[in-house]
Amino acid sequence: MRGAVITFDHVSKRYPDGTVAVDSLNLEVPAGKIMVLVGPSGCGKTTSLRMINRLVEPTGGRILLDGQDVQQANPSHLRRGIGYVIQQTGLFPHRTIEDNIATVPMLAGWDKRKARERARDLMDLVGLEPQTMARRYPHQLSGGQQQRVGVARALAADPPVLLMDEPFSAVDPIVRASLQDELIRLQADLHKTVVLVTHDVEEAIKVGDLVAVFRPGGHLAQVDTPERLLGAPADDYVQDFVGFDRGIRRLSFFPAAGLELETETVLPASTTSADAVAVAKRAGASWVLVTDTGSAAPLGWAALADLELQPAGTVVGDMRLAPVGHSFRLESDSLRAALDATILSRTERAVAVGDDGQVLGITSYERLRDAIRAAEEAADLGEPQPGQAGTDRSDDRAAPQPADGVR
Amino acid sequence: MVWSWIPQNWSLIWQYTLDNLLLGLIPPLIGLAVSLPLGIACVRWRLLYPPALGLASAIYALPSLALFVVLIDYTGLGNLTVIIPLALFSLCILLPAVVDGLRGVPEPVRQAATAMGYGELRRLATVELPLAIPVVNAGLRIAVVSSISLASVGQLIGVSSLGYFFIDGFQRDFPTEIYVSIALIILLALLCDLVLVGAGRLLTPWQRSRTRTSPRPAIAPEVWPGQA
Amino acid sequence: MSFLNFAWDWLKAPAQWHGSDSIPIRILQHLGYSGLSLLVAAAIAIPLGVLVGHTGRGSYLVVNLANIWRAIPTLGFLILMVVLIGFSILTWLVPLVVLAIPPILVNTYEGVAGVDADLKDAAYGMGMTQWQVVRKVELPLATPLIVLGLRTAAIFVIATATIAAEIALGGLGRYIIDGLASNDYAEVAGGAVVIVVLALLVQLLFVGVRRLVVPAGLRKQARASR
Repeated sequence: MRGAVITFDHVSKRYPDGTVAVDSLNLEVPAGKIMVLVGPSGCGKTTSLRMINRLVEPTGGRILLDGQDVQQANPSHLRRGIGYVIQQTGLFPHRTIEDNIATVPMLAGWDKRKARERARDLMDLVGLEPQTMARRYPHQLSGGQQQRVGVARALAADPPVLLMDEPFSAVDPIVRASLQDELIRLQADLHKTVVLVTHDVEEAIKVGDLVAVFRPGGHLAQVDTPERLLGAPADDYVQDFVGFDRGIRRLSFFPAAGLELETETVLPASTTSADAVAVAKRAGASWVLVTDTGSAAPLGWAALADLELQPAGTVVGDMRLAPVGHSFRLESDSLRAALDATILSRTERAVAVGDDGQVLGITSYERLRDAIRAAEEAADLGEPQPGQAGTDRSDDRAAPQPADGVR
Repeated sequence: MVWSWIPQNWSLIWQYTLDNLLLGLIPPLIGLAVSLPLGIACVRWRLLYPPALGLASAIYALPSLALFVVLIDYTGLGNLTVIIPLALFSLCILLPAVVDGLRGVPEPVRQAATAMGYGELRRLATVELPLAIPVVNAGLRIAVVSSISLASVGQLIGVSSLGYFFIDGFQRDFPTEIYVSIALIILLALLCDLVLVGAGRLLTPWQRSRTRTSPRPAIAPEVWPGQA
Repeated sequence: MSFLNFAWDWLKAPAQWHGSDSIPIRILQHLGYSGLSLLVAAAIAIPLGVLVGHTGRGSYLVVNLANIWRAIPTLGFLILMVVLIGFSILTWLVPLVVLAIPPILVNTYEGVAGVDADLKDAAYGMGMTQWQVVRKVELPLATPLIVLGLRTAAIFVIATATIAAEIALGGLGRYIIDGLASNDYAEVAGGAVVIVVLALLVQLLFVGVRRLVVPAGLRKQARASR
């Protein structure tokens, strides 16, 4: 089931002792998007999340699910239509993995066999091997595996809404990264409305279509796309919260496809050293890139100084070459990856390759500077990014999410 | 020790063993039947627990003989006079067991159940109580063993059990009876304990793959409010 | 309520309060049997419990001891002693002590063994010897459970001392046993009332002991977690 729209309409939560956890929150979570609520401890983000499925009841305002006030619905029924994933998973220790996942379907009256079948399908979906895992118990699984079960369980009844409360905070960084990637991948297929709470701004930026930054006291500081959050924080608080380095981090949102590449000094291995020297001098470069004659894969750099010293008739492919180092994929990587590759390269040039590994060209600091400037201008004007190749995500985010996403 | 006494009086021994068993099993069952709803209530309404537990502790402190005697006026000299006090003792052991067992259910599990749409009653029955079984079973074992042993005291007011052989052996100065009946009571108690251990394992398949030790059974029920 | 009437009538009678088998004498006897047994049991069980708890050796035995202990029929045990060794101080002392040891032993063991490993680590790290750790860290932290063990043992000892009247011991059980034998229900009822009151008073006494012996910080911690 595709996502529902969630609307917070002047929602407040005040406790009997006077603490205000959430103060007149107005927020709309668009259907089919991941909205991340982020902020320091005590800022009301978790409370806000838990008001959606009424684990906490608001003291003011309404929450609407596709226009229906959640307080009008029977709580148990409401919750069966909302997936809920928490940090400590809350898996039932006394049930097998398969039965844990099948919980809500069985609650809804599904036939047991059908429910278990569905559970096994979901195990496949989240990357757990049903054959070996289905009949195990939660304590026999690792933390990362348990959390995958938690997500599978939340998705079992195919709810339109998924709530996640610090779901990945309890696992180590490597597992966390893979779980985050898993979520992004799942969402590309499932298009649920996801509200995720985290205190980690990096997670918010990586995973969120929209990020809502909370201030202590339950107020919103800024709601924006991750890219705009990095590029234009609303005030000092958001800026501090987002952290330093945001200029560079923002570059993850600009696709490398917008780069102009230089191809003159890219030469196949069969080129003679004399020709190579000529090319280099004409281009004013001190290095040429040598590629494999057949596959166009990068082999290494040849320095002009070395080329000049070669005896006549030598082919560049036979020379000792400086290693290429880190290259970047033009179509799928970001300007940040290109910048990183350039910094790491000995020759202050980065190699852009296509998806099949063949060299497409070389970039330099100057070209990067130009591309970055163009990308920032486009972003400020709200225009599509130069060379925007689509809206898929990768580890290094290339495409910003347009507000009216075409999926 | 006159071994031949055993086969000679086998039917009598068997009769009293059954009587003792009945007096030892009925009270814990009554105690369980009462402590379950009471314990659930005490978990639901926290303020109920300290007074309930205080009352239970006070009763537990009273010598069984005194309680038997108090009841004679109301229930005569029959089995009920022994069963009721023993049931009260069982309740004193099982109430903390039920409460601790339920409170021991991890909060994330309870929260997840609610969030998935479990109503309170359903969550109690299908999630919390099953997870409380190990602790409750531990209390039940103690209640059963204690009841089987204490039932023999009922002989002093004429309620028949294996205690009959204590008195008889004492009066006739015939130690064999005493040895045999003591041994039988201990055996009976340990046997029931074993059965309960087995039942516990059967009901908790998820525990089987764990290697950790069982919950501390011997101590838990004796921990009262105001104590550790 | 005829039970209470019976008891009240009997308790009112001045004969109960004077003479060699009066209530005060019987109370003292009862407390004497109980108190002495408890003392002896504590003298054996507490050091043993500390030893097992501190070293960890023998813990398996201790934990399983509790189950077996509860299965022992107290009446049978007392009668057995008479049959084996006749009437002497040991006739009642041995069963009472044997019955009192397990709860004290198990609770002491649990108290000492249950001390947070981090605390012990810190203590050794500060340079304390084993003996110092026992005295300054383990014992103080174990006092709540030790007191609980003594309190539990007291319940069983008082109850068994009551039954011991059957084997011609003195104490408050006498009233019940003799009353039953001579069909004097007033005596039975009155005796029962005195026993109940005594048992409750002893429990209250232990509440006081706990207050005295257990460090204040621990008591507050226990209350907060209730």
